[in-house]
Amino acid sequence: MIGVLRGLYAGETVIDFPRWWRVAAVASGIALLLSFGSFGLRGLELGIDFAGGTSYEVAAPDASIADARSLLRRFDADGARIQVVDGDTIRIRSDIDDPVRAAEIRDALTAELGPVETFEQVGPTWGDEVTDKAVRALVVFFLVVALYIGVRLEWKMAAGALVAVAHDIVVSVGVYSLLGVEVTPATVIAFLTIMGYSLYDTIVVYDKVRQMTGRLGATERYTYNELMNLALNRVAMRSINTSVTSALPVVSLLVIGSMALGATALREFALALLVGIVVGSYSSLFIAAAIVAHLKEREQRWIQIRSKLAGRGLLEGPTRIIGRAEASVPDSRSSESSDRVKGPARRRPVPTARPAGSGSGALPRPRKKRRN
Amino acid sequence: MFRRQVSLLVGILVVAVAATALTLFWGNKPLLGLDLQGGVSVRLTATEPATEEMLDQSVEIIRNRIDALGVAEPEISRTADGVMVSLPGVDDQERALELVGTTAELRFRPVCEVLPVTIVGTRGSAGSGNMTADPFASCSLVRGGIVRPATGDDGLTPPEADLAEDFVILGGSGTGSTGGYRYVLGPTVLTGDALEDADADFIDFRWQVGVTLKKGAEGIEAFNDASARCFRGDESCPLLPGYTNGLIAIVLDGEVITAPQIRAPAFERDRIIISGSFEKQGAEDVALALRYGALPVELVAENTRVVSATIGQDSLDAGIVAGLVGLLLVALFIVGYYRLLGLVALASLAISGSLLWAIVAHLGTQSGLALTLAGITGIIVAVGVSVDSNVVYFEHLKEDIRDGRTARSTVDRAFPIAFSTIVKADTASLIGAVLLWWLTVGAVRGFAFYLGLATILDLVATYFFMGPMVRVLARTSLFAHRPGLFGLPASGAVVRPDNKPVTA
Repeated sequence: MIGVLRGLYAGETVIDFPRWWRVAAVASGIALLLSFGSFGLRGLELGIDFAGGTSYEVAAPDASIADARSLLRRFDADGARIQVVDGDTIRIRSDIDDPVRAAEIRDALTAELGPVETFEQVGPTWGDEVTDKAVRALVVFFLVVALYIGVRLEWKMAAGALVAVAHDIVVSVGVYSLLGVEVTPATVIAFLTIMGYSLYDTIVVYDKVRQMTGRLGATERYTYNELMNLALNRVAMRSINTSVTSALPVVSLLVIGSMALGATALREFALALLVGIVVGSYSSLFIAAAIVAHLKEREQRWIQIRSKLAGRGLLEGPTRIIGRAEASVPDSRSSESSDRVKGPARRRPVPTARPAGSGSGALPRPRKKRRN
Repeated sequence: MFRRQVSLLVGILVVAVAATALTLFWGNKPLLGLDLQGGVSVRLTATEPATEEMLDQSVEIIRNRIDALGVAEPEISRTADGVMVSLPGVDDQERALELVGTTAELRFRPVCEVLPVTIVGTRGSAGSGNMTADPFASCSLVRGGIVRPATGDDGLTPPEADLAEDFVILGGSGTGSTGGYRYVLGPTVLTGDALEDADADFIDFRWQVGVTLKKGAEGIEAFNDASARCFRGDESCPLLPGYTNGLIAIVLDGEVITAPQIRAPAFERDRIIISGSFEKQGAEDVALALRYGALPVELVAENTRVVSATIGQDSLDAGIVAGLVGLLLVALFIVGYYRLLGLVALASLAISGSLLWAIVAHLGTQSGLALTLAGITGIIVAVGVSVDSNVVYFEHLKEDIRDGRTARSTVDRAFPIAFSTIVKADTASLIGAVLLWWLTVGAVRGFAFYLGLATILDLVATYFFMGPMVRVLARTSLFAHRPGLFGLPASGAVVRPDNKPVTA
């Protein structure tokens, strides 16, 4: 593990990603099955914002759950869920959606147990409205982002990115379902963050892949898988660093949310985010990349290259590693033979070093002859 | 080239410092949402389909009621099918809920006495003798001191003591012709239930209010009962100095909207004209108030949320502490990994952070945009994204140097490539933020807003600060000779197959 990290730090190709993709496919398959299974069997614990109802948090260090329940019984609401949070706060959730009754209970709680710190009452239709809006926003979001990636990068990448994001969301929802954590608006925000984060990460990875395949793909000496492997190894350190820097504030939310009173919402939220960040980084490297590689290897051009290389017996065993010397072919080639992208991106040549005028340090690089 | 970088750097630094200075100078502070400072929010929905005009009218009425509470930044807005009220930091939460929810009654009360506005410093009194008088109790009771209506320091009966059957002292509405007086009023003789309709009319070259009463004992007959007494100046509705007839005050939400003289002993038809020196707007306001009583539509509380100030404070503290600790950890990691370049990344974060603070504080002070817990999370998430912009560039630098370029040349070359990656990824984030802001409601909206804002500022800080800063640093001799200090590998590490270093 340390060796792998050191290798990545030194910019070496140390992970055979195409081989790990198969492992990842199995792992993700199991995770997805578990998620769907749990979702189907247990469902989600919907908070009152979605299901309607009333929640109270009463600061009552001396009262017990039984006290609260007997109080609620008087109001014919003893079916409520009652928990003690942080030792001195009683959290009550009931399905009462009549404002008058909810207010009566609130007054009784204040009078008999202690001050009601938070009170939330949600009507029965609100949840449907919110859910409808969220689902609509999600669908539009997927369409627009797919369009954006398709135009800016490649359509096959759009497909890969969406599958990866969907994977992350399903797994996160599965975790929520398995742990039985209540779904609140904060949870929805956490899911959206996971989505945004996963997408962001995937795009950074894809951009690196495009830089690599554009430059080295033109040599026709490597299969798409091999180029992808090179790109992934080069971007892996960035992914790890970014995951760490993104995760650090979240971990501090998690720890401090656990210590601070009344910040339980923060804690659950941070947990969802942490899972999402880890899963999001994983899916960019192992799911999104694998799907694009799989799709691209079926393109006429890459099939030809593959069969040519296979004929020379180069494709047996683990994925060939592209050495640094080979990988650093001058960029000038890429602007001539272009990366095979449609759309506006093509019109923008990959920026190349300016031979002159870029300061004293830039020497014109020797142009290497193509050795065939 | 170099001059351009320097001017970009100076420009962004000036902007950041100016933004911070102005924020401090104007005393702008972020407005905290109710989950961070406690408060009440209620979403009211109309029980029947309501027009925009009716809802706007409701918003106005609720706003007037809330103003009495002295909430710093009440947010009262019309939604598609109701009214959203958000009162961060409101002290008296019980009262706020009551004010928002209840539909006040329109009351007709005989006027016993008209008093000037009280002198400052008057003491309130608890009141005494109000023994649920019958509708036409004699005004001599209150004028003779047998009944003393409860009053506050302003000499007016406070809302909780403003009971229909009691003698009360109420002020005129600030806008109408009744402003500037206090009215000593008898028990209610008629309520808004007796009204059929009311509208503003332009009659005899003057704006007047026409009132239509219901037929029968509950409407016109009850009114005529009162008007007969007031016309002749009965004990319950005495003649006041300067008037030829008694007055009947029309009271809504504890304010006297209008107090017309009764000029006829009985009204044959069910239509009554209130004439006076109305402006067009004034007549319409009075008609509207009469027509709708309290609120034009019945509103019920669909969602209610109450957060106590302690919980708000706890959440705020937790958010701040978590943010600071998180930042510290990120700082340690990034400086440990990238050394001097890490410091550049931190400075870049500080620049976007100071701009974000200035914008949030400005919007909070000027437009009442509140910073919620969801918003804080959006910002914390954006910290990760901002740092990533730096990581993308720095990793690209390292990669290029290992590929055999000199550190100095690669700085210029790598920035456009890395920046294009950052723009692509940030654009996807922005698309998400805009769509979420546009298509959702509530907390998610706040999150989307701050995520989007922080993403834009990340692009600004990357382009105007981080890029130029690294290029300027690249000109120092330290950069060429001690790449390790910048977390970069020694240049020319790559050796070609023919064993000649590329950069040779």
